[in-house]
Amino acid sequence: MNPENNNNRVPAVLFILTVAFLLLAVCFSRRKWMESEPLKAIALVDPELVRPTTMRTSYAQLIRMQADLSDFDCYGCHEQKKAVTLRFDGSNNLVIPKEHSDIVMKHGQHGRNNNCFNCHDDQNLLLLQTRDGRQLKLENCPPLCGSCHGPTYRDWEAGAHGRTGGYWDKAAGELTRQICVDCHNPHSPKIPTRTPLPPPHPLHAAARAAGAEEH
Amino acid sequence: MTPEKPDTNWPDGPNAGMSRRNFLRGSAVFASGLAALAASLSPLRELDDRPSVEQFAQKYYKELTPEEMKKVLKRIEDEVEKQYGLRPHVKDLKPEAGVEFVYALNLTRCVGCRKCVHACVGENNQSRTPEIQYIRVLRLPDGSLDLEKADHYYHPEAVPEKGYFYMPVQCQQCKNPPCVKVCPVHATWQEADGITVIDYDWCIGCRYCEAACPYWARRFNFAKPSIPKEGLNLNMAYLGNRPRRRGVMEKCHFCIQRTRAGRYPACVEVCPVGARKFGNVLDANSEVAYILRTKRVFIQLKEELGTSPRFFYYFDV
Repeated sequence: MNPENNNNRVPAVLFILTVAFLLLAVCFSRRKWMESEPLKAIALVDPELVRPTTMRTSYAQLIRMQADLSDFDCYGCHEQKKAVTLRFDGSNNLVIPKEHSDIVMKHGQHGRNNNCFNCHDDQNLLLLQTRDGRQLKLENCPPLCGSCHGPTYRDWEAGAHGRTGGYWDKAAGELTRQICVDCHNPHSPKIPTRTPLPPPHPLHAAARAAGAEEH
Repeated sequence: MTPEKPDTNWPDGPNAGMSRRNFLRGSAVFASGLAALAASLSPLRELDDRPSVEQFAQKYYKELTPEEMKKVLKRIEDEVEKQYGLRPHVKDLKPEAGVEFVYALNLTRCVGCRKCVHACVGENNQSRTPEIQYIRVLRLPDGSLDLEKADHYYHPEAVPEKGYFYMPVQCQQCKNPPCVKVCPVHATWQEADGITVIDYDWCIGCRYCEAACPYWARRFNFAKPSIPKEGLNLNMAYLGNRPRRRGVMEKCHFCIQRTRAGRYPACVEVCPVGARKFGNVLDANSEVAYILRTKRVFIQLKEELGTSPRFFYYFDV
């Protein structure tokens, strides 16, 4: 290489390098092209929705909460020692009196379980009765429910049906169990549908397979 | 050629040394290069979740003496307090003898409401933005267990939907965990009670475990996790739900901060239909032992892989 030529090129290269480096320095310190847009905050889920409360508040829970139980005082309206008569319409459906219009009778298929006194005691409205004549308090319904739903009752007793909470280790604390009516409405025991909590954020759903639902 | 008389001012000759001009040129390039390098490293200065010296110098979890562990827990409490303004209670709970945790999930009961997902996020201090969730609820068409047909972005007005069933998937706590095998630094391992744990201070963030897990149960903190202060769960465990840094893996640990203190995991407690069951399988009276004995326990998910999960799916009837 011609040393003369080389000598001429060096300052030019050095000058270009200096400018390039300085530009880089400015870019880096300004971080113009490194800046990413800040993540959009994903909406938080209301902590109320993930509280381990049961779906409904049963009589047993009301007792524990020492709440107002006047709704369950049957003899506030009914007369003692006066038999309650049930009325049925033409297709053998129970006619629910307007005083009990909050009750939806949907227990059992085809409306067959349509007699109040299949479960309630017709002699003492404050009690429940099983078909074999045992009388149970309202807050102690599982043996009554179990008289029809045997396998479920067996699972419940073993802890396999229904909700569990508290402590699995009996030595560490108390296990909390729920009774049938803490979750199931006795008059309409099928668990109603509900709105699901939000799915994973759609940011991550971008690469989903085509044809999947839009959200 | 006649040998040139050496210049006395330039012992090695006038061209060998450095002229004033060359020196200035060279130093200008050097200085601007240095400035560019410093500027390019400047984002490092803004890192606010840099490990502290104590954390950096910390020993491996299994080698920590109880006194050293105390110091580590105090450091974590201090760090959390500094960041969130709330003093947590960080514990290091050890596995109990005679306890092996097993999870059973009733597919007949699950309605796909995702309460477990979000209860887990709250309990385990998972990042809200970006979002990290340990549980994915898959929606599958009835009559098939083809995971290719699963969708976890479903969002109808009401669940359960006709024609579908729901299968929540989270860490399966395998007896033969592939994630543990691939970890190059032993930052994740299986404990005596069956929980596979991660030491967030030892994890180097290589994500091998994420790739090895056939259940997509492991999550990576790509960004600094963000947890609202009022949503912070202050009951923390070292191997459990203490806040993570950017660049480490995390996953379901059966709520170690609860279960090793005798409590049920958050997802079990919140499940509105009682589909989730948890307990000590070595106790014959536990509900999980009863389920494994009497129910149609159909799978360990992907059991052909030989991972042998401690997470069982079963049906009623």
